[in-house]
Amino acid sequence: MIFAAIICLNFQTKYHLSGKQRAFAMKKLAYFDTSHEMPLEIIMAAGFTPYKILGDVHQSNDPADKYLSSFFCPAARSWLTEALARSDQWAGIIFAQGCNASNRHYDVWKVHVRTPFLHWFGAPMLESEAAKKYYRVELNRLISHLESHFGVKITPEKIREAIGKSNEIKNKLNRLAALRSLKDISNREYLAAVIKCLTSPVDEVSAWLDAEIQSWSARPAFPSDKKRFLLTGSDVTYVEWMDTLDECGIRIVRDDLSVGERFFATQIPDRGDPLDAIGDYYMNIPRPATRPNIQKRLDYLYKTLVETKVDGILSQNLKFCEPYAYDSVPVNNALKAKGYKVIHLERDFTPAADQQLANRLAAFVEMMEVENNGSNQQRR
Amino acid sequence: MAQTNSAAENAEKIKIRTLPHAKDLKWPMLWWIGMEKLYRTLPWKKTAWTCAAFPIEMMWIYDIFPDHPENMATVAAARKQSQRLIEHAEGMGFSRDVCSYCKTNIGAYETRIKKTLGGISKPDIVVCTNAICDTHWKWFQLMADRMNVPFFMFDIPKWVSGTDEKTLEGNIDYVVDQFYDLIVFIEKHTGKKLNEKKLHKVLDRSMELSNLWREIFEYRKAVPSPYSGAETSAAFFPLVVLPGVQVGINFFRKILADIKNLTAKGEGTMPPGKEKFRVLWEGIPFWYRMRFMYDLAQYGIVIAFEPYTYSFAPEKKKCATLEEMLRHVAKLIMDTPYAYNLERRIEHFEKWIDEYKIDGVILHENMSCRPSCAGMVDLAEAIMKDKGIPVLILQCDMNDPRVYSEAQIKTRIEGFVELMEAKKK
Repeated sequence: MIFAAIICLNFQTKYHLSGKQRAFAMKKLAYFDTSHEMPLEIIMAAGFTPYKILGDVHQSNDPADKYLSSFFCPAARSWLTEALARSDQWAGIIFAQGCNASNRHYDVWKVHVRTPFLHWFGAPMLESEAAKKYYRVELNRLISHLESHFGVKITPEKIREAIGKSNEIKNKLNRLAALRSLKDISNREYLAAVIKCLTSPVDEVSAWLDAEIQSWSARPAFPSDKKRFLLTGSDVTYVEWMDTLDECGIRIVRDDLSVGERFFATQIPDRGDPLDAIGDYYMNIPRPATRPNIQKRLDYLYKTLVETKVDGILSQNLKFCEPYAYDSVPVNNALKAKGYKVIHLERDFTPAADQQLANRLAAFVEMMEVENNGSNQQRR
Repeated sequence: MAQTNSAAENAEKIKIRTLPHAKDLKWPMLWWIGMEKLYRTLPWKKTAWTCAAFPIEMMWIYDIFPDHPENMATVAAARKQSQRLIEHAEGMGFSRDVCSYCKTNIGAYETRIKKTLGGISKPDIVVCTNAICDTHWKWFQLMADRMNVPFFMFDIPKWVSGTDEKTLEGNIDYVVDQFYDLIVFIEKHTGKKLNEKKLHKVLDRSMELSNLWREIFEYRKAVPSPYSGAETSAAFFPLVVLPGVQVGINFFRKILADIKNLTAKGEGTMPPGKEKFRVLWEGIPFWYRMRFMYDLAQYGIVIAFEPYTYSFAPEKKKCATLEEMLRHVAKLIMDTPYAYNLERRIEHFEKWIDEYKIDGVILHENMSCRPSCAGMVDLAEAIMKDKGIPVLILQCDMNDPRVYSEAQIKTRIEGFVELMEAKKK
């Protein structure tokens, strides 16, 4: 009898809830974002947990490859694979305008991914007054669509509250990330922490970050056999690749990735109109390669290099990731011209350790050690 | 397949008949080259780099010579220079995966090759849009930085599947606002001022040029086809850089007269009775291998329609006020057929298939133009399902000959011809 009642309750939960009730029962509202363009605070103010679609490198991209050629970004194809399998767990999906090669994937998702809510957020490329005005138009359009579809009211107070929570996460993540250059924190741990913050409920993450800050602070000092590196280029979305870096003696102590510092480096202004604050924030975060201009991207890299002493810079490009492939030449040349040691490489989207790549990295680190030993001997 | 193969090889060579005035294309080309020399010689004249979907008319209105890196990249490919230029850019660190136009341009600029081989010189300003792709602004910004030249980018919102009218109006507002930013930019960096009389003259001519090309396309609906993609791929040059000047209009008038004459006689570009398959070609041609279009003729294929060249001739209208004109142009920039979203692409392709009596579609899956390839599988499936004609997705590259594989492409084309033949039986 009890068993039957449980089955009946499950059935009701699954099938008899209204669309709106079911959406809130699912809680997660997923977003497609090739950098950090999605105004997460609007999703939070609507009562949802923003969930950044990051795919799963362990799953074959075959489901997505039925619709997209293999010369498209493998990460974006992995996101489609994830959506094809899991979209029923999300209340909806929002696309933020980002990398142009994958912007048009929206049309493909509209045909093949089953979701009750699909929205295109046209984040402008520029930072001009015209762009600011347009950003506001697009924010209002997003708010209006969320309100009408889910029957919610997104008030300025709710947005302010979301901004407060968002800033709290950014602040804590910043403190946590700062420990990378001081303590023995593996590359995997750092990336896993950022991914958790991008995919889990804010309140849950906030408490977890407090515990992590405490735990990381108590760790041993930065290991003497590791080199401090700045990581730049395409987003890294799986921890296995970070393990390879650790194995080569490289510790990432700074970065400018979207699944990284771009997400938490700056705070949302906590004053005035909340939509203006969101606009100010998203148009002034460290620039990705999908946005003009290269100098602004370099400015953030220079800033990090002044703040944190590094031994080298690792610039990497995911296969078929065009924006970073274009940027890598002028960005790396500019960094080299300032005297930094830069290594650039292209990687595949795979959890398997790439031995050729590891050899190059290990050789680069060895070369640094030889140079250091040489200069130490000269000093003696 | 063996039968088709030998049929194509053993049959008498089919020659595409070019229009009597096709050779007159040299006049707009020479005019353009001559103008560049003049604009670079006279100190008060200015030059710019521009790209596809940028309102080139703005340059002529301001008396600025519009140089065109993409156009020059195609020249380099046609003159068999693109590979070495691409390899030069790759030698500088650019990935094999990025746009071959961009790398050709970088190689051409860095190696200082001659204009007639696809060379290009430093301009006074660099202006571009992202209406077609973000590669345009990445590439142009990169080169503007390298050349130390002022750079302006027009941010064109994406017209994704299902965009409603209200959103579209918001998008147009944004583009119109940027027109005023562009005006400020041009006046600041060139010292030129807007001349209203010239504005109307340029826009009238631009409209006439577009209308002529659209009328030419109306005649291409005739069977047999009087004008194939083999010719339009070169002849559309005036639409790329000359909207707003007279010389292109003169050329298109002659072409139109030739076509009217041919269709009146019931003749086509193929020899009588040889036009077997009318094909729609989607995408940019293989510029390093223009013979490919002529090779298709050996199978009885005529490229009866291609959205690519048609994209350069939108339906332009006369506007009463500057604001109305800017809104109209803003919408045209967003509405280029080459950048249609999937829903609009399917809708228009199916309309064109009917209008141009198409037997099959070739979709060039261009490794240098990823945005245009998104949704291609769905487009192919929709056409096959709704129109019942074969669709061939051909993966290649517009400017990088290293990607072109003669034997593989031949095999694919022969399979495609067999499908069209079977469908016709």
